[in-house]
Amino acid sequence: MWLKRPGTKGEGRGFARILLLRLTLTRICERAVFMTTRTLRRWFVVHKWTSLVCTLFLLIVCVTGLPLLFSEQIWDTFVGDDDPPYEVLPPGTPNASLDVIVEKAKALYPGQIITNVDPDDDEPAVLVSMAPSWQALKDDDKYPDRNSSHWIKFDARTTKVLKQSRPETEPKPPGTWTGLIMGICRRLHVSLFAYLPGRLFLGLMGGVFVASLVSGTVLYGRFMKRLPFGSVRRDRASRLTWLDLHNLLGAATLVWATAVGFTGLVNELQTPLFGLWRVTDVRQILRPYANLPVPSQDHLSSVQAAFETAAKAAPGNEVTGLSFPGASFGSPVHYVLWTRGATPLRARLFTPVLVDARTGKLTGAYPMPWYLRFLEISRPLHFGDYGGMPLRILWALLDVVVIGVLVSGLVLWAGKRKIATDARLRALGYDLDDTDGVPALAERA
Amino acid sequence: MMNAVSPEVPMPSSPVSAARPPVAVWPWPIALGLLTIFGLLSALLGQHGIWLVLSWVALSIPLIVTVVCLIRAWSRPSNKGGLS
Repeated sequence: MWLKRPGTKGEGRGFARILLLRLTLTRICERAVFMTTRTLRRWFVVHKWTSLVCTLFLLIVCVTGLPLLFSEQIWDTFVGDDDPPYEVLPPGTPNASLDVIVEKAKALYPGQIITNVDPDDDEPAVLVSMAPSWQALKDDDKYPDRNSSHWIKFDARTTKVLKQSRPETEPKPPGTWTGLIMGICRRLHVSLFAYLPGRLFLGLMGGVFVASLVSGTVLYGRFMKRLPFGSVRRDRASRLTWLDLHNLLGAATLVWATAVGFTGLVNELQTPLFGLWRVTDVRQILRPYANLPVPSQDHLSSVQAAFETAAKAAPGNEVTGLSFPGASFGSPVHYVLWTRGATPLRARLFTPVLVDARTGKLTGAYPMPWYLRFLEISRPLHFGDYGGMPLRILWALLDVVVIGVLVSGLVLWAGKRKIATDARLRALGYDLDDTDGVPALAERA
Repeated sequence: MMNAVSPEVPMPSSPVSAARPPVAVWPWPIALGLLTIFGLLSALLGQHGIWLVLSWVALSIPLIVTVVCLIRAWSRPSNKGGLS
């Protein structure tokens, strides 16, 4: 108020200068305070809207993610597998040559083609996938209920047939409740039953979630200025209790939620990222072979030798499977061997190796581009499947706490809406006797 | 909720703040965040024995701290709760 004091105009130069200085300082201070408030209000709007946009979908993925965390255990408990037990052989019994298994498969289904040979990760078994022809597999895309591929499971050591897939002609076995519920959870979690658009949409929600976490962190810093960490004020308005809960649970899980949210976003981008790789690097590599005919499977080089060639071509990697020439993603004349890192960190980093199926010679090993490496590294951080059962349980508990953050956020938002409505009703002359929802007064009391 | 302590109502001059001096906001969240990062990475990079155990311990701490804060708040309703 002293700024507007009458009489300052006519006084000496020195005083005018001090006045000017004071005026400037005051303006700077006013502006600073004003800016802070305005900036804070903006952060609040960002937090409110980003949270509102993604909360429903996050609740869906948080809830459906819980059973998915324990899907292996759930399947084992409620369904189990009816596979016959493995023969007990003396320890150290070597595996049979994959060529023997391939020949056996061919003899079982003469005239059919082999599409894949996949040794099992942790059981002594080899899965051989077959189909009437590559064309039949391609045609399957047009008929969603048709599946012309089938598989045979061999004992890797004795080459005995352990199990075969259910033939098309046989009726489907009755579905189990476990299968139904887990299927619903998985599809809701991954794509909201909307395939690729659903995946991309959930990926977008992951991005919005990260934005809401960042804005929430800024607001946390402002609101916790005068409260010790972990305060939950229970002696005041219930809305303050909810706010404190929201802040406490949010601060405790912030980094975990950011990691899982962001890696979820990256996971949802897998289809476009793999597609990008296929139309760029993969197409470039396969260009010289693209127009060659697919050779008959009777005259191909040894599958066992191809596995050994690939293991040498990708040192430090283990070979997990082989696709025969002609597969839709591969070359017409190459075996594609899938290798992956042998250490747990690199276990999801796949390096395909091409071996010429006509000659058995190595064509090359092709490490994935950086964006797919990033995708594969980020997967375990989303699934929480890399640290044994205790880590899964911790994942589940942290997930439950995040659900708490979402619910408390919703309560706060709904409460605010209620107040706004109440204020409007009071303004209209309605007599409302509910005094619980006026925390602004409670806070200043 | 934010209208309870809304940006439009700056608090520093209110009588409440006199009773509650400013506190360091960030040490606890930063400590819990670093523990989480350590827990996430130690299992991923270590993968064996002690690293797995350290990961479980590190990731448990934010949960334990949360539970302790909740128990404090609910066992002493008149207290403001919180760790100082």
